[in-house]
Amino acid sequence: MNSMIKIKDLEKYYRTEEVQTVALNKLTFDVKEGEFVAIMGPSGCGKSTLLNIIGLLDDPDGGSFIFNGIEVAGFNERKRADLRKHNIGFVFQSFNLIDELTVYENVELPLIYTGVKPADRKKRVEEVLEKMQIMHRRNHFPQQLSGGQQQRVAVARAVVNNPKLILADEPTGNLDSSNGNDVMQLLTELNDQGTTVIMVTHSEHDAKYSHRIIRMLDGHKVTEDILV
Amino acid sequence: MVKNYIKTAWRNIRANKLFTVLNIVGLAIGLCVCIILFAFVYTELNFDNMYSNSENIYRVNMETSEEYDFEIWAELPNAVGPAIVKDIPEAKKMTRLIKDDFGVTASLKIGDKNYNENGLYLADSTIFSMFDFKFLEGNSKNAFLQPKSIVLSQSAKERFFGSKSAMGELITVNNRDTLQVSGIYADLPKNSVIDCDMVYNIKDSWMGTDVYWSNASYETYIQLQPNTTVAQIEDQATDLIDKYVDKDGQYFTKFFFQPLTKIHLYSANVQDGYSTRLGNINTIKSLLFLSLLILFIACINYMNLATANSRKRSKSIGVNKVLGANRGQMLSLFYVETAILVLFSVVVGYAISFLTLPLFRSITGNDINYHDLLATPILIGLLIIWGVITIVAGSYPAISMSSISPLLLVSKSKKKNSASEFVRKGLVVFQFSASIILIIAVTIILQQMTFIKNKNLGYNPNGVLAVSVKSAESRQQVRSLTQNLKRQMSIESVSAVQSMPGLNESGRSVRKLSTDVVGMPIKSCRTEGDIIETLKLNLLAGSKLPEVISEGDSIIYTLINEKIINYLDYKSPNDAIGKIINTELGGRAIITGVVANFNYNSVKEDIGGYMYYKSNKAPERVRALLIRYNTQNLPQFMGNLQKTFNENMPNTAFDYEFLDKHVAQLYASEEKTAHAVSVFSVLAIFIACLGLFGLAAFTAEQRTKEIGVRKVLGASVAGVTTLLSKDFLKLVCMAFILASPIAYWIMQNWLQDFTYRTPINWWVFVLAGIAAVFIALLTVSFQAIKAAIANPIKSLRTE
Ligand SMILES: Nc1ncnc2c1ncn2[C@@H]1O[C@H](COP(=O)(O)OP(=O)(O)OP(=O)(O)O)[C@@H](O)[C@H]1O
Ligand SMILES: [Mg+2]
Repeated sequence: MNSMIKIKDLEKYYRTEEVQTVALNKLTFDVKEGEFVAIMGPSGCGKSTLLNIIGLLDDPDGGSFIFNGIEVAGFNERKRADLRKHNIGFVFQSFNLIDELTVYENVELPLIYTGVKPADRKKRVEEVLEKMQIMHRRNHFPQQLSGGQQQRVAVARAVVNNPKLILADEPTGNLDSSNGNDVMQLLTELNDQGTTVIMVTHSEHDAKYSHRIIRMLDGHKVTEDILV
Repeated sequence: MVKNYIKTAWRNIRANKLFTVLNIVGLAIGLCVCIILFAFVYTELNFDNMYSNSENIYRVNMETSEEYDFEIWAELPNAVGPAIVKDIPEAKKMTRLIKDDFGVTASLKIGDKNYNENGLYLADSTIFSMFDFKFLEGNSKNAFLQPKSIVLSQSAKERFFGSKSAMGELITVNNRDTLQVSGIYADLPKNSVIDCDMVYNIKDSWMGTDVYWSNASYETYIQLQPNTTVAQIEDQATDLIDKYVDKDGQYFTKFFFQPLTKIHLYSANVQDGYSTRLGNINTIKSLLFLSLLILFIACINYMNLATANSRKRSKSIGVNKVLGANRGQMLSLFYVETAILVLFSVVVGYAISFLTLPLFRSITGNDINYHDLLATPILIGLLIIWGVITIVAGSYPAISMSSISPLLLVSKSKKKNSASEFVRKGLVVFQFSASIILIIAVTIILQQMTFIKNKNLGYNPNGVLAVSVKSAESRQQVRSLTQNLKRQMSIESVSAVQSMPGLNESGRSVRKLSTDVVGMPIKSCRTEGDIIETLKLNLLAGSKLPEVISEGDSIIYTLINEKIINYLDYKSPNDAIGKIINTELGGRAIITGVVANFNYNSVKEDIGGYMYYKSNKAPERVRALLIRYNTQNLPQFMGNLQKTFNENMPNTAFDYEFLDKHVAQLYASEEKTAHAVSVFSVLAIFIACLGLFGLAAFTAEQRTKEIGVRKVLGASVAGVTTLLSKDFLKLVCMAFILASPIAYWIMQNWLQDFTYRTPINWWVFVLAGIAAVFIALLTVSFQAIKAAIANPIKSLRTE
């Protein structure tokens, strides 16, 4: 299978007034299309930083990042946003639903930004809500939902555009174990249908759903456990 | 997409009810003020542009010689107009315009009724075609065909004749001329400086037939051929002075052609002129500035509340960006949101402007009406205001908030946006500085007004009534009226005068030697009776004017002020008594008495030379009786007075004015400024407080958790209130420090206009500072106390 993501010697620094933190230090690894990868490591080792760069939210300070065969390190904000909205879906630990929008409208949002026609939007949103079994809550506002339901909406929003890649940063971090398992189940199903999934987690249990675990320390990869 | 923006924006607006209401109220007030002012300014800027020849009509003004301080006068000799038309081919038409009897209220007799009239003019018949008079009856060509004809405006006709026809009716003016109505014209537009109620032919009077280059009393309008170079014509006109006037008589040296459309606003430096419809471009500029300032203060509220709220909004901005929104789309969203809010404010502001229009009129004395508010340019202006305010108020929040990074969602450190906090504080300081400057300005303006009102004028205008006797049919009438009045208990003194102080004196010169070419310009006023007693003048030397002068006495007895004494180099007033004085009055004039300088004019002006005189052969007539009275029952006194007047002068309208009111009138425009600035400052402070209230609510909300923790740890309500109010008070104090020197400088400049001015007291500043702090504290503490007394358990549960 093709490599979807090729990362080589990736570097990222944060400069604050006094100190410079090395968040990523010559990190190198690949992710193939259709893979389900878990990233683990102690707090502060650079997992979120890595995910932000893969998600094209942030730009690395050094090294190379090839996404679908294109070098994207050094892309400007506009180009990254363009690539991002068509290819990548996000699931966050804190859900990040917009409180002022209903479930339906939250899920519809990515379609608006990718310019899908209103009639098609309706079809797509309903399809996804159906799949996530949250259709009956479509006119509720996020705060009227339980944590598990909110995360299902967030997943629905992440997949509504049929992205090739889903990035999840501790998607179960704010959920109890049963809701957490539901979400992992959803990600596995999506992966089975061909979507590549990269997930950051602190939970060995959740990591077992993946094909491969990348373990990080101080900004670089230390080991890799192949599960499948 | 747009539909989506509107939907989202609308939700956001509704989600923050408090901020929305504060913003709309503030903006609507600011906009209301602006709308009314724009309507006002629009009418002011469009004076006199409706005539078909507006562009080619000029008023001729002249510059006087050094002796008269190079003043610019709008009133010229009556020879100027005819000479210009005769000698300069480009000058096609001219009309001279003069108010009957040089501007004193005319007394009209129509049938058996007497009326007072302020708008009676004499003019050349060309006035009708130059100023597009629309005749409803009669016509412009024939109106002055018959001698002794008069034309009336529609409203004058209705006032005198009601619905009856007026054509051919007789009107007696000042018991002197009887004129026949020969036409009725539609009222002149209210944006015309020409404000004639009625016009008769100047050629029916000596004023039009005796053409001379000396007395300057006639406004002169010239219509030039289209596309003429005005500067050239001005030069040619100025050349006429040498051609027609010999060197000694040249007390004016230059003619200026003032475009008709500029007369209304740009005549502050021009003396005289008869129109009552004069504005001032500087007033307009300052009002506009103040209204824009208020609007800007309201815009600041929007900027501050919107960006203060940005932390709440940052999550949704971040999410939108993660999902693919670019910065432009976020910008549009914020602009749409601002636009919706401003649209509401414009609608509300426009609605309030209709409700508050009467208030505005009574405060400023302007006569704009509902119709002016509905004018198309105002409606277009509203659209423009909508756009401009959206951009002014919306840009800073839009730019600052749309740049929020999506990484904010994933980063754990919620760091403060210190740049926007700094801007926000700066803007609050600006708002309060402006408010404090306005408070200080109002206080000093009011102080100055009181100062002027209480200033010792050198005479006492209180308790003096001026009754017009200029239409008396004979001198005997005036004399017997005076005698009868003097008999009344409540009347202390009566003097007949040519003019009440500062109104219609004659301009003359006093010369040291009769051979001098240049002298000191003075005002001379003929009087009969004891003027010292009537006006309570301060006699320094000599005696009052003689009560009776024997039949053959040709001496002119004069009472002069110190200014003249100083000019004539007398060491002391006593030295001058009995001396001869050169006055241009003809005959032998001697100094009978010397009075202390008194402010016959506005105290804004310097005191010049002033002379009362009495003589058997006075060239001027007496026009008014000044009556010093002392009564507990004014209505009854006035009733008796009118009865006596009517018995003695049955054919004349009873026209009177209180001298103190007349004096107060001199400061009417300052009074108006004071009112306007007061209103503006109250509004500015109110709007600034709305913003502060919102910010305080925001801070309290943001610090709910902190407050909860502090309270759990034992902080008192007072302690928490202080904690929350402190920061805002710091800003207000900074504003005070910034505002004080600026206010001092502005008011120092404003006071320069007055010869007599109140000192600027330090306590005014302290007072303004305390007021601002107090108002701010009141505003902020409401929110602070609310947060402080809230149950901490409840506040800790949020988050
Ligand atoms: N915006 C930032 N400014 C400065 N330093 C940062 C910033 N974001 C992250 N860092 C630092 O970079 C390093 C990596 O951070 P990162 O958030 O990627 O860690 P993480 O592995 O996701 O940790 P956690 O498991 O706690 O989420 C840390 O030392 C962190 O303090
Ligand atoms: Mg992390």
